[in-house]
This record gives sequence, structure tokens and C-alpha cells, in this order.
Amino acid sequence: MADELLEGIIKAFILIFTFDPEIWDIMFLSIRVSGTATFLASLIGLPLGSYLGLRKFRGKKALTNLLNTFMGFPPVVMGLIIFLLLSRSGPLGELGLLYTTTAMIIAQLFLAIPIVIGTSKAAIESVDPALKETILSLGSKEYQLWWELTKESKKSIIAGVIVAFGQAISEVGAVIIVGGNIRWHTRTFTTAIVLQTRMGEFGMAIALGLVLIIITFILNYTLTHLQTKKD
Amino acid sequence: MSLIEIQNVSKTFVRSNELENTVLDEVSFSVKKGECFAIIGPNGSGKTTLLRILGLLERPSKGNILYKERNITNLSKKEIVAYRQKFSFVRQKPVVLNASVANNIAYGLKIREMEKSQIISKVKEIIELVGLKNKANTNARSLSGGEMQRVVIAMNFILSPEIYLLDEISANLDPKNVVLLENFITKIKQDKTKTIIISTHNPLEAIKFADRIGVLNEGKLIQIDTPEKIFTYPKDEFTAQFVGYENIFNGFAKFDQKTGLNHVKVDDLIVYTSDQKEGHVKVCIRPESIVIAKNAPDNTSFCNSFKGKIENIRDLGNICHIFIKTKDKKFLSSITKESSINLNLKPESEVYFNFKATDVKCL
Repeated sequence: MADELLEGIIKAFILIFTFDPEIWDIMFLSIRVSGTATFLASLIGLPLGSYLGLRKFRGKKALTNLLNTFMGFPPVVMGLIIFLLLSRSGPLGELGLLYTTTAMIIAQLFLAIPIVIGTSKAAIESVDPALKETILSLGSKEYQLWWELTKESKKSIIAGVIVAFGQAISEVGAVIIVGGNIRWHTRTFTTAIVLQTRMGEFGMAIALGLVLIIITFILNYTLTHLQTKKD
Repeated sequence: MSLIEIQNVSKTFVRSNELENTVLDEVSFSVKKGECFAIIGPNGSGKTTLLRILGLLERPSKGNILYKERNITNLSKKEIVAYRQKFSFVRQKPVVLNASVANNIAYGLKIREMEKSQIISKVKEIIELVGLKNKANTNARSLSGGEMQRVVIAMNFILSPEIYLLDEISANLDPKNVVLLENFITKIKQDKTKTIIISTHNPLEAIKFADRIGVLNEGKLIQIDTPEKIFTYPKDEFTAQFVGYENIFNGFAKFDQKTGLNHVKVDDLIVYTSDQKEGHVKVCIRPESIVIAKNAPDNTSFCNSFKGKIENIRDLGNICHIFIKTKDKKFLSSITKESSINLNLKPESEVYFNFKATDVKCL
């Protein structure tokens, strides 16, 4: 076992430093899928979340509870739902999207949206109510207030987006179901690691794991930097 | 015609456990254009809520707000912005945007879509007025409380609002900044087209600026009058105490033929007053009105002279509070430190204390 581990690590470094084409392919695919999903989730989630954070309305508490539940939605169940929708006999089967990167993006999009909405809503809500009133009393219209509060909480909002991306890229349950883990097509870090480990190809698995760890490290470093940075 | 009128405004907050908390109770008053109206009352009396309702930041639970006889209590979102722009609300704790001092001051004009060159020249002018010229590019959040409050004043002053709502704005400031702020209020007052409504827990601040004062206690507006009237004829015990009558006693007043004055029997003391009220009254005497002497006064303008024993002396720097005990009453006299030293006052020493009949108010 110790030999296998050592061998695996050595092989991993060789793969990384020889720029193994498959590792690069998997990396770009993962970033593209999760990046696109996060980008789309932000487009939808940020305006929605900040709007929810700004307004008071009946049933807001219930909606918040629902949102919190969806923020921790099990990826594998999301995969199952999207799979059922996109499978040939499913309601959207005719689109022929199953086992494509589009399907993977859709699955991750639905996982990321609640996170983006939830964090941006919380960010806007956490702004000092006295500041809201000051902006209002200076005669701002609602969209001007919204813009000002968004600027005010931009750090937390960006942090939410980074968290959503981090969740997406390290998630395995959804992409493996709807993507099918097809080599050169729908294979991501996580699905590749699952497969390589099963096959005993520890070198490849460790190499991918290392790259994934480096990516999440960079993300978290940025996050911490963002949160501790002074204006 | 009054500029703003508040009609029977009540505000009740319902807490989550169904407990109701009435912060304002049937408050009514009106303010004329160019007037400075002060709302005085202790902390928690509802001053801030009242100003927030006036600034259209909060809706009353009951009652109406009229602006030039138009009811503006329940405006639509669009209309409310237009009306809010007539008011400036400056809060006790200043809050500024996360931007430079200059950008903060410019904010209100920016959202009103004024031309850039015009904004720049206006900001330049006002930033000098509040003495923050050399901090124009500093982030306003890094300023001291006093400077920040000046930024907020400038943010509002630049918009030239019709009505200033100033909520305890000098409560947290050091003396230097209080003076700067007060000069600013005086400046606003000189412009006779501007209306000011200030709230304060400091009656002296109210006298300085207000044309009329409203006394608020536990959400009820107890008395509205000119400062002179409020301070000389407080309507009830609360107001009397709030504006500085520390000596308040129950008594029975009767007209006295011999002196032509009313005399009030307060337990075994007889107090002469120039007030005309008869029957059961509350006798109020300001601590400053009570003069202390070592010997019984002979031939004096003081109608009231009593003997007592000093119970306690509280040194407040320039002045001393002397607590004097008679057989069953306790009086408070406020005298200068100098006279306290000259009279060599010590606890337990016997003194005479005197006050004029005109300084005795009956409620």
C-alpha cells in the first residue's frame, strides 16, 4: 500500500510536469462547466437575491427557509432530477442533452443558483439599516438604493459567487449522473478521480486531486483576502 | 397656513410575542414655514420615531401627516420619493457612504441627476463651509464622529431641503463639534424659508434655537408652547422636572389677604407664591432660585425663608448641589462653587435658604 502511494505520487508529478494532455483537458472542461454554471447562476441569482434582500413582504421567512434548504441540496439528487428530465423518455428527452456538458452545466446551475441568491440576499440584509434610511432620506429612488446597497455589500456578494464556484467544481454526484463521465467529453476532476481510483490508477487520481486542491486553495485564498482586505 | 401638520399620530410596534409597544400616542402639532420647532423629552419618549414618521421613513399606525394641507400619510412609492426630497433627516449617529467625503456630499445631487460641473462647484463651496476642505478625498468612514456628522449635515445642506429633521444631532459630539453644529443650525435658521424640527433631550439646546417647544413623554405630547412659557409655566410635574424644577412638593394654596399673595401649605411649611392658582397644587422651585445664607435674612425681598440642615453637598465643578433637609422635606439648591466656599458649607451645618415668591410656580 505504501509502495502504491509513493508510486502514485511520483507518477502524479510526472503527469503534471509533462503537461499530460488528458489532465489539461479535464481541467479545462471542469473549469468551463463549473465556470459557466456559476456565471449563469450569478446572472440570475444576484439581481434576484439582492432584490429579495431589499424588500419586505409576506412569506419572506418561508422563502428564506426554502432557500436555505436548497443551498444544501444534495448534488446527487439534483443529478437524478436532471437525468430524469433529460433522459430519452423524459419530458425534455427530445433535446438530446443527456451526457453532454450542457446537461452538466444545467445541473450545476441549479445547485449554484440558491447559493448565489441566498448569499447575496444575506449580504444586502446585513447592511446597516441606518445606512438604508440615510440613502432613502437623501431622496434616492428604489433602484438607486438597490445599487448603493449592492456596492456596499459587494465583498460578501463576490464571496458568495466564489463559494458557489467552489461547490460546483468539487461536486461529483450531479455531473457523474448527467455527464456520464465520458473520456475527452464529459470527464471532470471529480468524476475522473472516482474512475481512476476504482481502476487502481492512483497516479492519475492523485495528480487530478492535487490540481483540484490547488484550484480550491486559490479560491479560498482569494476569499480570505477579499474578506480581510480594507477598502 | 401650516407647512406640516401631524394629526393624532400613533405608532404601535407589535413584537413577535404579540406584545404591543405604543411608542407614540395621539400626537398632534403643526409647524409653520420658517419655524424652528423642538421636540424635547427623555430617551425612549418617542422623539426619533416621530421624526422618522415626519421624514416618511416610517408609517404611523394611526393618524395623518399633512404637507401644505395635503395628506401624505399613505403615498405611493413614486410619490413618496418626491416628498422625501423635501425633507432632510439627520440622525443622532451619523452614517455615511463608503466613499470619499466629496463623493458623500455630492451623492444627493448625483441621484437628482444634476450636471457634473455644477455638482463639483457646489460641493467645493459646502465642503469649505463645514471645514472639511483638506479631507475632501478621505474616505468618510475613517473620520471621527464629529467630522462624520458634519459630512452628513453637508450631504443634506447641499440639497437645500425645505424641512430639516435633526434628531439629537449633537448628542454624541465633543464641545468643539457641538459649537460648529450649532453655528450651522443658526445659519439654516437665518434662511427664513427653511423649517427646522429638532429633537433633543437637552432643554437648553431647545431654548437656543426653538421658536416653539413640544414636550414628549412616553409617546404623549404634553405641552406645546414657546420656550419662555414652557420654562416658566410647565404644565405638569414631568415637564417641570424635565426643564429643571427639582423641588416639587404637593400643597394646598389659598389667597392671603394680608400679603396679597397666595400661600401654599406644604406640610408644616408655608410657601408664598405669586401664582394665582388655588386649591391642591404642585409647588415647583428651581434649584438656582434657592439662595443659601448663614444667618436669617432681615429685611429682604425673599418672601420665603426657611431653616434647614445640609444633608449632602455634590460638587459639580463650577456649581455645587446642596441638599437641605427641613423637618420632613428635602430641598435642592444649586449655587456657585465660589459661594459654597465663601459660606463654608459643610454637611450637617445649619443654614437658611430663601427664595422669591415669583420663583415659586404652582401647577
